[in-house]
Amino acid sequence: MNPFAYVQPRTFDEAAAALAEKRFSLPMLKAGGMDVVDHLKEGLIQPDALVNIKRLRSQPDGAPIAEAGGKVRIEATATMAEIAASDVVKRLAPVLGLSVGTAASPQVRNIGTAAGNLLQRPRCWYYRHEQFDCLKKGGSTCYSIEGENKFHAIFGGGPCHIVHPSNLAPALMVCNGVVHIVGSDRKSLPIAQLFHGPDQGIRSEHVLKPGEVITHITCDAAPRSGFYAIKEKQSFDWPLVAASVSLELDGAKIRSARVCAGAVAPIPWDLPKVEEALKGVSVDDDAALRRACDVAGDGAKPMTDNAYKVRLLPVAVRRATLIAAGRKTEVDA
Amino acid sequence: MKPLDEATLIPSHMPTTNRPSNMGASVNDNASRLDAVPKVTGSAKYGKDYHLPNSLYIVFIRCPWGAADFVSADEAAAKATPGVVEMQVRGKSCTYHGQSIGYIAADSPRAAKRALRALAPKWKRTPVKTQISDTVKDNPDIGDDGQNNMNGAEVTHEAVYTTPVQTHSSLETHGGAVDHRGDRATVYASTQGTSSSRDGLGGPLGLGQGDFELVCEYVGGGFGSKLGGPGKELTTAAQLAAKYKRPAYMFCNRSEEHLDTGNRPSSRTLARIGFKKDGSPVGGEIRTWGGTGVAGGGGGASIPSGRYKLGEIKKLHDDVSFNGGGPRAFRAPGHPQAAFAEELMLDEVAAKLGMDPLALRMKLAGGEHRKMFEAGAKLIGWSNRKPNGSQNSALRTGYGAGAAGWGSAGPGGAAEVVIARDGSVESRTGTQDIGTGQRTGMGIVTADALGIPLKYVSVKIGRSTLPPGPGSGGSVTTPTTAPTMTAVAKAAKTQLLELLATQANAKPDEFSIKDGVVLRNGEKYLTWEEACGKLPNDGITANKGKGERGDGHSNGVQFVKLDVDTETGVIHLRHVVAIQSCGRVICRKTAESQIIGGVIQGLSFALFENKLLDRNTGAMVNDNFESYKILGPGDMPHIEPVLWSKGQSGFKALGEPPTIPTAGATACALFNAIGRPVRDLPLTPDKVLAALAAGQGGAA
Repeated sequence: MNPFAYVQPRTFDEAAAALAEKRFSLPMLKAGGMDVVDHLKEGLIQPDALVNIKRLRSQPDGAPIAEAGGKVRIEATATMAEIAASDVVKRLAPVLGLSVGTAASPQVRNIGTAAGNLLQRPRCWYYRHEQFDCLKKGGSTCYSIEGENKFHAIFGGGPCHIVHPSNLAPALMVCNGVVHIVGSDRKSLPIAQLFHGPDQGIRSEHVLKPGEVITHITCDAAPRSGFYAIKEKQSFDWPLVAASVSLELDGAKIRSARVCAGAVAPIPWDLPKVEEALKGVSVDDDAALRRACDVAGDGAKPMTDNAYKVRLLPVAVRRATLIAAGRKTEVDA
Repeated sequence: MKPLDEATLIPSHMPTTNRPSNMGASVNDNASRLDAVPKVTGSAKYGKDYHLPNSLYIVFIRCPWGAADFVSADEAAAKATPGVVEMQVRGKSCTYHGQSIGYIAADSPRAAKRALRALAPKWKRTPVKTQISDTVKDNPDIGDDGQNNMNGAEVTHEAVYTTPVQTHSSLETHGGAVDHRGDRATVYASTQGTSSSRDGLGGPLGLGQGDFELVCEYVGGGFGSKLGGPGKELTTAAQLAAKYKRPAYMFCNRSEEHLDTGNRPSSRTLARIGFKKDGSPVGGEIRTWGGTGVAGGGGGASIPSGRYKLGEIKKLHDDVSFNGGGPRAFRAPGHPQAAFAEELMLDEVAAKLGMDPLALRMKLAGGEHRKMFEAGAKLIGWSNRKPNGSQNSALRTGYGAGAAGWGSAGPGGAAEVVIARDGSVESRTGTQDIGTGQRTGMGIVTADALGIPLKYVSVKIGRSTLPPGPGSGGSVTTPTTAPTMTAVAKAAKTQLLELLATQANAKPDEFSIKDGVVLRNGEKYLTWEEACGKLPNDGITANKGKGERGDGHSNGVQFVKLDVDTETGVIHLRHVVAIQSCGRVICRKTAESQIIGGVIQGLSFALFENKLLDRNTGAMVNDNFESYKILGPGDMPHIEPVLWSKGQSGFKALGEPPTIPTAGATACALFNAIGRPVRDLPLTPDKVLAALAAGQGGAA
């Protein structure tokens, strides 16, 4: 670990200013620090300054999560545990709380932040190991293609085959989430525009420019929303696939649906074909619901060892849909 | 057999803090670990906790690839790193990820790591093999012996069973801290052999055995990997401490622990076996391969286990090399992987025979195992088991069973019991507590032999200057030391009673001790403290006595109940019953804990653990605790340990047998639930889904 300066700003504007200081060549933001410390330990980054935004709020004395004009407002530094426990979230956009409520471990959820969850780097084991000079680190090879790709992408088309690690991002996608930023001319960015695929630049996963800092996140109310992750381990594991769903219902019938998958592509992966197929389907019609969700895997291009994800994705989408509609899944007691 | 006592038939939702089935099963049912408070509060100091003033910190320079030729390194830059004291680089070709080519010693851990970064060794990768199947691609034809063994078979079964490399994953990594003070030294080790580690350190320390002490009061797990001397980490620390006459510290990080401190070798078992229609065994051939990495051997698999009559079996074995770290002894070496193959094979045979797999086991197993199977079947609710593959619901329940066995060890080791005039007792033996409860067990047998409450006894273990005890391997620590300590404590008691008799001008056999009270002719004579107060200044020291050997094997059976989510392939473990004999149980809680720990390790092996080497570069891609997955709280079933103590005498083995049958019983339960076997560990969702898909349209 190289020596670095530790900057403690009092506001997000100060944080943005610190990032712009000429004396730092590679300043980095640190909120909860989970991913930053991982990177430092593995030697993947050598920042010369860490700017600690962990305790900053965009509004003085602001609650981590609040209702604002019928929308949900989440501080960038709200912890995953706070989001999961929030009554506002449970009432207005339950998908958000469900998505982070079982992520990682209680310890991580107590320290990991909303914006940190969105901007964390991928878990690809080739990226995470210093000795692999993979595409994402400026090399010329994606080692997963002919290597160990069980947990890699089935959508996106490469050339880098990471899956986006955030659970919160797909959840925000189905609630029209917006990230609010300081440090540049633009003041906000829809979550749908926050991420880019490897074809738009392999070395990063998001479009934020150096010096931009997320201050808070807002999203529409999505009271009929749900999340389902399929994991190997039931504690402290990453999803094999995950789905976030938001519904508008007429009784049991789906008027419209927003569906976004996690852990299947380098970005949160919208599933418009499923959204279309779900229209008019009754959530209580198991056969019809299955038919609609089965198109979730359409267009997937699995790698050598992850075709099973194509089979899992419709299950996650269907269960998230049932949860969104307040129904039990077939495996609930 | 006789039905079990009502107390044995406890419901599965019984809180684990209250196991009436085990009440009365042990010498001391209620004692908690003597080191519970230090361990929970953190005041217990493990070897890894000894950061000594002015210490050198050592890191190994390791090959990052499965196979690579060393090309160059910037030694000048590394040496110029502030704080670097010494560096040694032996550039060479390496054959596994994590192989050491030298070390850097520096004034701080950070300086050592910076120097390692500055060194930036360059490597040229060479082709790798990463698993058994890179070498063994086809099933060889059955040999003549095996073919002859199968003559007369009415039902035959042929299948390949495979298990991955499992790492020990000790929470405290390998290494040591050495406090060298010129003409003497103290070594803080993390070892399963206090004596054997001591024996290997005189040379590196440059000291005679009497001039240093090895201290290992607590060990954060070893599971077999910390046997066999001090190891290269501690040896290097000792050499550098001796050279610079200052403390030195070397402990592996988590990655290094996965890469280079041993493992359970991978296995491939090709079973060809025949039975009569009534389930009588005929025989066959069982061929095994052990994936031993770069080591030449150590990959044996104990199948047939001998716990089941399988007829005449021709057994063949080969070890297979690939570019991975070599194996070391790992809790029941050769057994869990073999039991996985054997138990699942039996369930598959039972399915072909149309038999209940437990009925087949009752036909093939020995007497004690049969009694245990009957008892366990009641506890798990085997009567609720549905035939293989007969369920159609999304969530399907499965039941599986397996058996364990372990040999016994005779008394040995040296022990010393000291009774002081204030009534305190010290129980001394140079063993180590690798988490099993050895410290507590020594206290309990001492107190029991003396007839006094445990509170009087203080146990001293984990120092090379104590009377030498055995290494903790083969589950022998307790069977070896408990009889010896018992005998020595009894000798101390005899001395005490003789002294009281002399002082009272009476015969020694008029005196006895019970519950801390000295009795004379059955009447209260003195309290323990009063009696000890009559001792001469130095109290009593006893160190002679011959213990008695426990009889027979430590048999056990386990039952696993699980649910399979057939839409996702995810297994939800529900209930495990683990019946285990171990002779006379010393401490109920630590014995239960041993069984539960063995089951957890077995379940983790069944569902998750897999040292995964990148097929192209040989680098271990999951050298951490994130993607090297270990059973977590969310996956934990209700585990019900049953101490099978009736008819048992002597002190027998307990450490290893409880981890033997677990993975096999889990695989059988999965087979029962979905009607298709998954013959390759770990039992991950992708494999479960593949098995379900293979079953669609095919006969189960």
